[in-house]
Amino acid sequence: MLEHLGEKLILHVSLGSFSFSFDILTVIMSWIVIIVLVVVALILRRGLGQDIEEKPSRTQAILESLINLLKGQLTSSFSSDKLAKELFPFVSTMFMFVLVSNWLSVIPYCESPTKDLNVTLSLALLVFVMSQLLAVRMKGGMKYLKGFVEPYPFMLPLNIVSEIAKPISHSFRLFGNTFGGAILITVVSAKFAPVLVPAVLNAFYGLFVGAIQAFVFAILTVAYINVAVES
Amino acid sequence: MHLEWGKVVKSLNWTFIFNLVNFAILLYLLKRLLFKPAIEYLDRRREQVATRMETTRKNEEQAKKLVAERMEALQTAYEQSRRIVETARVQAEEIIGQGKDDAKKEVEHILENAQAQIDQERTEAGQELRRSYAEIAVLGASRVLGREVNLEDHRRLLDDLLSELEEDTLRMKL
Amino acid sequence: MEEAQNIVGQISGADIATAAKYLAAGFVMAIGSIGSAIGEGIVAAHALDGMARQPEMEGALLRTMVLGQAITESTGIYSLVVAIVLLFVV
Repeated sequence: MLEHLGEKLILHVSLGSFSFSFDILTVIMSWIVIIVLVVVALILRRGLGQDIEEKPSRTQAILESLINLLKGQLTSSFSSDKLAKELFPFVSTMFMFVLVSNWLSVIPYCESPTKDLNVTLSLALLVFVMSQLLAVRMKGGMKYLKGFVEPYPFMLPLNIVSEIAKPISHSFRLFGNTFGGAILITVVSAKFAPVLVPAVLNAFYGLFVGAIQAFVFAILTVAYINVAVES
Repeated sequence: MHLEWGKVVKSLNWTFIFNLVNFAILLYLLKRLLFKPAIEYLDRRREQVATRMETTRKNEEQAKKLVAERMEALQTAYEQSRRIVETARVQAEEIIGQGKDDAKKEVEHILENAQAQIDQERTEAGQELRRSYAEIAVLGASRVLGREVNLEDHRRLLDDLLSELEEDTLRMKL
Repeated sequence: MEEAQNIVGQISGADIATAAKYLAAGFVMAIGSIGSAIGEGIVAAHALDGMARQPEMEGALLRTMVLGQAITESTGIYSLVVAIVLLFVV
């Protein structure tokens, strides 16, 4: 159990002269996450009554409170209502994907896709690229470039570094939390206490920290996009 | 195609791209299946509730306006009726007062007439009486004297006498 | 005495590097987490202060607090990542 601690399975594929490699477990786990989310979405979708006059069903109440929660906690931080409406699906999907990924580690033989730096870094870079594109779209190219030499021209390198540091800290925060929790659980259950204690640790690192980190990831997405668009 | 164990942090590889593709698929599916219909539904319901509330508010306003109108009409009718009663009372009083005046005048008139008639009749009676007295006196005197008394001469004389008599005797008698 | 000398003679440079790696990982976590721990404590304390003063602002304060703690935690996470790199990569 411990001999492959901190390592992961990598699949090397070579198609003719073109060869690539990827983490097979991570990809399979993220498919599982997608399947879980789509199934949940279908169940919730079915509960949505088409008739407005009807009394809302139980699943519809769940769906509504979920959407209101996401709206109130995440996208209400956006400075413009238009942006909030536009980015609501993106931010909500980000939150739910990270949440279910983090919670997946609780199930035996499953591991979080977010335990892989590739996943968190790709999400963070996606947010980074998106925030920059939105900033260009909202402010215009010249004003966007001008934002890098504010307040003084010699701050240019500092501004660039602070922009680049955002996706790095964004991705490493999630990765470090999930991976650190997973390592801790593995080590404790292999070396000290194989029963009972891992359950508590799973509940804390898998469920509690996982939920907090998913929330933080989503709200930082909102914050980064907001800052890029505003300043 | 083969599997091997790799270090965690070192291995940035195609998982990156795969995950982006996965996330894009997930985003598309969730948007299509969940967020779009749900948000559309919620918006539609919010719109409907807003419309209903607006309608209710309008109806309530109208009802209030109607009630106010009714109350005003009622008030007007009440005041009008009071005014009519007041007018009628005043008119009645006027009529009664006029009737009383008229009656009084009539009575006075009748009394005056009666007085005038009485006076006239008394005068006439006095004159008649005086004439009768004069004739009787002349007749008596002619009979006493035994001869024809010149009526014309004596009448003047008697008239003077009778005038004196009238002063006390006749006044007393009547 | 001879045995001890033998053991010392058997220690290679790689062994020293491994020992230094583990030691460094321990120090990184120990020292690196101090700052973020103190910072998170300060954030939580002030957020609680604000909540006690204005209980109706609790939701917004909680959200901002979690966000601030997450950002404060990044240094701790960086040290964790460095420790992981030291342990499993170097």
